Amino acid sequence: MEGTRKILLVDDEQPIIEQLIPILERAGFDVISAPNGEEALRQIEIASPDLIVLDVIMPRLDGRGVLRRLRQANNWIPAILLTQVNESVDRIMALEEGADDYLNKPYDPLELIARIRAVLRRIRPGQPPLTAVQRLVSGELSLDRVARKAFLNSTELSLTRQAFALLEYLMTHSHELLSRERLLNSVWVWNYETGTRAVDARICEIRQALTDDSTQPRYIETVIGEGYRFISDVSGT
Amino acid sequence: MKMLLRRRFVIIVVIIIVCNIILVGSLWRGILPNPILIVTLDFGSVLALLAILTLAGWGGFSWTQSQNQHQMRDDFEQERRTFEDQLKADRRRFLQRLNHEFKNPLTTIRAAITNLRVLSHPSISQSTLDTIENETVRLSAFVTDLRKLADLEVCPLEKTKITIEDLLQEVVESAGEQPEARTRHLTLHPFPQAPGPLPQILGDYGLLFLAIYNLLSNALKFTQPGDKIEVRAYDDGARIRIEVADTGIGIPPTEISHVWEELYRGQEARTTPGSGLGLAMVKIIVERHDGHVELRSPMSQGTVVTILIPATT
Repeated sequence: MEGTRKILLVDDEQPIIEQLIPILERAGFDVISAPNGEEALRQIEIASPDLIVLDVIMPRLDGRGVLRRLRQANNWIPAILLTQVNESVDRIMALEEGADDYLNKPYDPLELIARIRAVLRRIRPGQPPLTAVQRLVSGELSLDRVARKAFLNSTELSLTRQAFALLEYLMTHSHELLSRERLLNSVWVWNYETGTRAVDARICEIRQALTDDSTQPRYIETVIGEGYRFISDVSGT
Repeated sequence: MKMLLRRRFVIIVVIIIVCNIILVGSLWRGILPNPILIVTLDFGSVLALLAILTLAGWGGFSWTQSQNQHQMRDDFEQERRTFEDQLKADRRRFLQRLNHEFKNPLTTIRAAITNLRVLSHPSISQSTLDTIENETVRLSAFVTDLRKLADLEVCPLEKTKITIEDLLQEVVESAGEQPEARTRHLTLHPFPQAPGPLPQILGDYGLLFLAIYNLLSNALKFTQPGDKIEVRAYDDGARIRIEVADTGIGIPPTEISHVWEELYRGQEARTTPGSGLGLAMVKIIVERHDGHVELRSPMSQGTVVTILIPATT
């Protein structure tokens, strides 16, 4: 089924498009492309792609503008935005623009394929992606992403900023195996030389706050030698 | 500016002297009536009056001069800050443009390498492709780090009260997991307990962790097996002083003033992996906490890097 998925690549850099198309095609996707935001909107109208990969800085209409227009029209086509989201300001903006995932240039094309597959797997047809909802809920756990507060059974949890951001990332990518390197790159403002131990320390903090037993986890599973996975179902409001 | 002050000084002194001579001369000759005493002034009184007027004029001049100097100093300080802010903003813009101009070609190259790998033509050596890919990944990380360094100067800080003991404990434990740490004597010096424990500091825990971790990584890189690395902290009443000291190779005197610059790599550092951004990052983080950094490296006797951060009151 995955082979029939249609991907729209939107980038004003023609060499990137030329090199990425064969890679994505070999991965089993149909690929179409657009050199700017306006053309992307036109392609979405006529070709109905299953997912769009959007660069941010483009002539005419940039990637954020495209997403804003789509979401305002209640179009929840899955989108991967090619930029980094780290700071609190960016996170609030990310909530509003409603991308399904973010990937910073320059990226490994195989990583892009992995992200496309993961986003396609967690589609909630006709609904905003979990990355764009204000409140994440998983059993007794809930996260208010705007107020940056976490609650377990309505009791507020005391979490550091990075632990909160890590839990948020795990929940928005539930059931996805996330390597320590990816978590470090996605969640930490600056991962320079701190090593992946920083991830383990924050996971430990989250587990303590959630009273989650690592040997019989309800929320976060350790995949030995690979990374972590949020194993509980997550909904958004 | 000094020339201008000197010229103004000479003009004012000349004006005071001329005014005194005219005034005293007029009183002496009876051209002007003496308004207060209605008596003829003798020579001594005239001299005394002259002295009083000169002193008054001089006092007034000095006061004005001091006010002007304060004003000029404030103006100069303001101009200097504006200039520095402008320089930082320019540099930030430059790094952002650099990042933008590099990231697209690097994305293309990484995709092209992936395509070349599947062609598997005998003339394409896989090890050559590996080399190109590794260097591209290295350059990608470097460009990203440059942008992050620029972001670090403006990113919002999440300040909380930090207990130094906890922070240093965690940093030392983390750095202790580096392979080099197994062959160095890495120790956390006992914290002062009298008259009380160290005061807390107000700061961004994650960033301060990063700064101190970076100093420890450097110490591990530039020491040999058997060397000592000590982490210690004191307070001098107003500030917390955190030191990372080692018995490593040290830094030549000619390089010390440059080590905080971005991309600077000393003679010894060139053969050691690194980007030349670590100490620049430490400096930015510390200065964003209203602190400052110091480094001393007695010839061939190791290095002491000091971070000074205001304590909470």
